[in-house]
Amino acid sequence: MTASDYLDLLIKALLLAGIYAAMAVGMTVIYGVMKIVNLAHAGFLMLGAYFAFELFQRFNIDPVLGAVLALPAFFLFGMGVHWLLIRWLPKSDTPTLSSLLLMFGFWLVLQNVGYLIWGNEESSILMPRTFAAIHVGDISVPKVSLIVFAAAVASLIVLQITFNRSWFGRSMRALIQNPYAAQIVGVDDLKTSRLSFGLGTAFAGFAGALLSMLYSFNPDFGRPFLLRSFVIIVLGGLESVSGVALGALILALLEVFSINIPIPWYWHGWRAFYLPASYQPVISFALLVLVLLVMPRGLAGLLQRKRRVA
Amino acid sequence: MKKKGLRAVKTQLDCGLTVAVLVAFLTVLGASTPAVALADDAVTIGIIMPTTGREAKPGQYQKEGVELAIKQLNDQGGIFVKEKGKKLPVKEVFYDNGSDSAKAASLVERAMSSDHVTAVIGGYSTALGEAESVMPDRYQTPWITAGAAATSIFSKGYKYTFGALSPIKLLGTTTAEFLGSLVDQGKLKKGLKVALVVENTDHGVDYVNGIQEWIGKHPGYFTVVLNEKFELGGTDFSGLLQKVKTAKADIFLSDAHLQDYITMQRQYLQAGLRHQVISYGARGPEADARKALGAGTDYILAALWWSDKLPYPQVQKFVTDYKQMYGRGPDSWYAATAYDAMRILAQAIEAAGSTNGSKIRDALAKAELKKALIPGEVLKFGPNGQADYPFLITQNKPGDKVDIVYPKDAATGPAVAPIP
Repeated sequence: MTASDYLDLLIKALLLAGIYAAMAVGMTVIYGVMKIVNLAHAGFLMLGAYFAFELFQRFNIDPVLGAVLALPAFFLFGMGVHWLLIRWLPKSDTPTLSSLLLMFGFWLVLQNVGYLIWGNEESSILMPRTFAAIHVGDISVPKVSLIVFAAAVASLIVLQITFNRSWFGRSMRALIQNPYAAQIVGVDDLKTSRLSFGLGTAFAGFAGALLSMLYSFNPDFGRPFLLRSFVIIVLGGLESVSGVALGALILALLEVFSINIPIPWYWHGWRAFYLPASYQPVISFALLVLVLLVMPRGLAGLLQRKRRVA
Repeated sequence: MKKKGLRAVKTQLDCGLTVAVLVAFLTVLGASTPAVALADDAVTIGIIMPTTGREAKPGQYQKEGVELAIKQLNDQGGIFVKEKGKKLPVKEVFYDNGSDSAKAASLVERAMSSDHVTAVIGGYSTALGEAESVMPDRYQTPWITAGAAATSIFSKGYKYTFGALSPIKLLGTTTAEFLGSLVDQGKLKKGLKVALVVENTDHGVDYVNGIQEWIGKHPGYFTVVLNEKFELGGTDFSGLLQKVKTAKADIFLSDAHLQDYITMQRQYLQAGLRHQVISYGARGPEADARKALGAGTDYILAALWWSDKLPYPQVQKFVTDYKQMYGRGPDSWYAATAYDAMRILAQAIEAAGSTNGSKIRDALAKAELKKALIPGEVLKFGPNGQADYPFLITQNKPGDKVDIVYPKDAATGPAVAPIP
């Protein structure tokens, strides 16, 4: 492989990290505040994709604008889901069985509603930009992946600013750090949870709408992203926005480079071994197990600890 | 006191919520597994296909193929069963396996053990078919797959397992043979480099074996420079396609299912890759792919078990009947092989003169469906239970056109190679 090939791989990994970050950030917000592992996240991604699809089909609205419109629409939808289902869940510092069951059941309901409305067809959005790429020498950068990357970075920045600068963000951080102390100092637990769930759902819908430009989809869409989203937020440290970015980047780098970089091994002399591409999904599982064993609070926890020690 | 009361109400709510979710979950599951009240005066056929999940679309097409055959049989009064002394209507019991192997196997078991169906048609795709194929011998109930063709299913000595598709290995061999014919015609040069990128299933393994067997027997034609597998249902093939790019191959041969074909071809085009020939095994002309990729599917070759371009009168009748029933034409090969599977099963039940599983099994082993839709017009099963008939090679052309390009005597248009 030449230097240009490695650069190409690096760009591909960065773009993939953008996709991963976009799809995982909504899950982090919900877990951080409410300690709910949102298994319905895949369903929200699917609905986001169909939201952009319908806007594109019916009103010829660009999916990028569709993704922006998905933010308020899914924010309200998320608040509605919270009012209808989530607020009845028992409060806990750790994920509970009832929350897992509820979100899993809700995902199944969303899927089946999807099948009722859209059937089992593979839907997709085909535009002139779908296959457009920027070519620099041997390297080609797909425009849609660049858009998703930019949108992911923007959403992470917006979320980080919301976390740091707004009253709502401070309430969220207080609840993440210590829900009991937060309530003592006047944080409205229910209201913040409702807004957080709305925000997490909004980002899931936003990500789904963006992903509709990259993939064809059916009501089962989102399933393969669920595990990766989970790995990313565990790796990043379950409650951290910057952790999500870092987690997404590490997973993407590992997935892309691991199958393209020769691993030296000795058997009657030195040889180069390439990890088969079929082992790519194993990386996610292995990483999940490793992180849970070695640094259960993720990279953010590790960095915090180092900062405290320093 | 008040707090305790509130807590009790809350606990009740939690329990209620959990039960409600469980009930909803079981209801959703139950929706795909209907309870069957078996009638003694009907031939009950279990259809186990994915109509949701990853394989939903091909599964639905296969279901439609079987249902068309059942409708036509019932229009003629059903199947004559000698031991009953009359024609019995065919009753369909459908189960959606949700593209899940474990669920597919358990549904076959349920159909055969609790619902006591006469026979089962199922097994789209290879992964699901493999899971299902262990059940028929256990319950001595015939099972025909019209959508799984990996050798692994038919090499275990099962007696009640039948396959209406020719082996995948032959699919690989036919593809290589066709590419060889392009070399002989001077359309491709000798010694071209081939990149093989196949799904990590027995389907993929058989495909590679078929290609490599032909290349091994015909030295000098092609060299395999990359042989990689990928996991089903992948979302990112950029790393894999980088390997393809680095390999500097001239021919790109993949073996993928519909979703992976669409995702991979999309990323292939975005990566700016180009090869003289592209194929995705038995996928190529599907309407969903053409909708998703537009002109991006032009010139893709596919090795198929059937095409609506076959010049047999029964094929044209099938296409007309299918259009009449579903309001659209059959998409690729899926419905046709399922239609033939149901027809050969009906023929075997009639020959057995009974709804007894063992008798039907014996009749199936000897059955020969004439005027079948498949290439060669005759469907029969080999000693291992699998059919063996020639493949067709089709090529997508601009303007949503699809031509049979191989074999020569069935060709409806010339092969375009290298891709312009």
